[in-house]
Amino acid sequence: MTPKSKLLERLRFLVRVVRRQCEHVRLTDQRLFVHPFTAERVRKMDANIAEAEQVEAFVARFSRLQDTLGDKLLPCYLEALGERPGAVLDNLDRAERLDLIPSADRWFAIRNLCNQMIHEYIEDPLVLADALQKGHEFLPTLLEAAATVIAAIQEREWLVD
Amino acid sequence: MRLSERQIAVVRDIAREEAGESAQVRVFGSRSYDELRGGDLDLLVELPVPAKEPAWLSALVSARISRLLGGDQWMSCSAHLILSICRCTKLPAGRVSCYDPQV
Repeated sequence: MTPKSKLLERLRFLVRVVRRQCEHVRLTDQRLFVHPFTAERVRKMDANIAEAEQVEAFVARFSRLQDTLGDKLLPCYLEALGERPGAVLDNLDRAERLDLIPSADRWFAIRNLCNQMIHEYIEDPLVLADALQKGHEFLPTLLEAAATVIAAIQEREWLVD
Repeated sequence: MRLSERQIAVVRDIAREEAGESAQVRVFGSRSYDELRGGDLDLLVELPVPAKEPAWLSALVSARISRLLGGDQWMSCSAHLILSICRCTKLPAGRVSCYDPQV
């Protein structure tokens, strides 16, 4: 196997992972955000085990999708384009210039948002509710970025052997 | 406090751009002690009125500051918000000593 074919194999694997992660987080999002996430819902979470577990699932799936996209698939795609892999911020800036993501600043901020979605750490119900609700609002951004990157890879016919 | 004049200006400008002109910014944690080395930048942003989207505001401020100061060796910045002068948000990382200097 040549280095290029190894790289493309990894790219195909990451595309499959991202597709599955998109589907999983979408399913959890649809179930969890039938109604907006409010401070009141947060306050009831300690007594509502099912909801608390669903929140954890959403947060974990959201974070994993963003990590796989930004830290793995994007750098792999850039490398396949012949670019030298760089630091996360450099890759995000490059992705923005290539119109793969709308904004590197926003992407980085969404990453920071994930830290505030963790129920055990965030004691203010207003903050946790806001973090979860913003996560829900930004999910389309992640899903669209995934679709854009995968479409770019597909256009180059890198998903077929 | 281990921040240069340029870093102070960046922190203050971004906090005020995102949180409003009346936002007050303080450094706490290891960066506020001259004798320590390294460490993340912990910021306390005080607002006169509750933030409508406190989690997003905190995430955005810390992201923008981290990116602009990323060339200055450390990248990680946490912005914690006090939602109003009458109510303190409990911070996730433990107690705040709130060593002042105000940025």
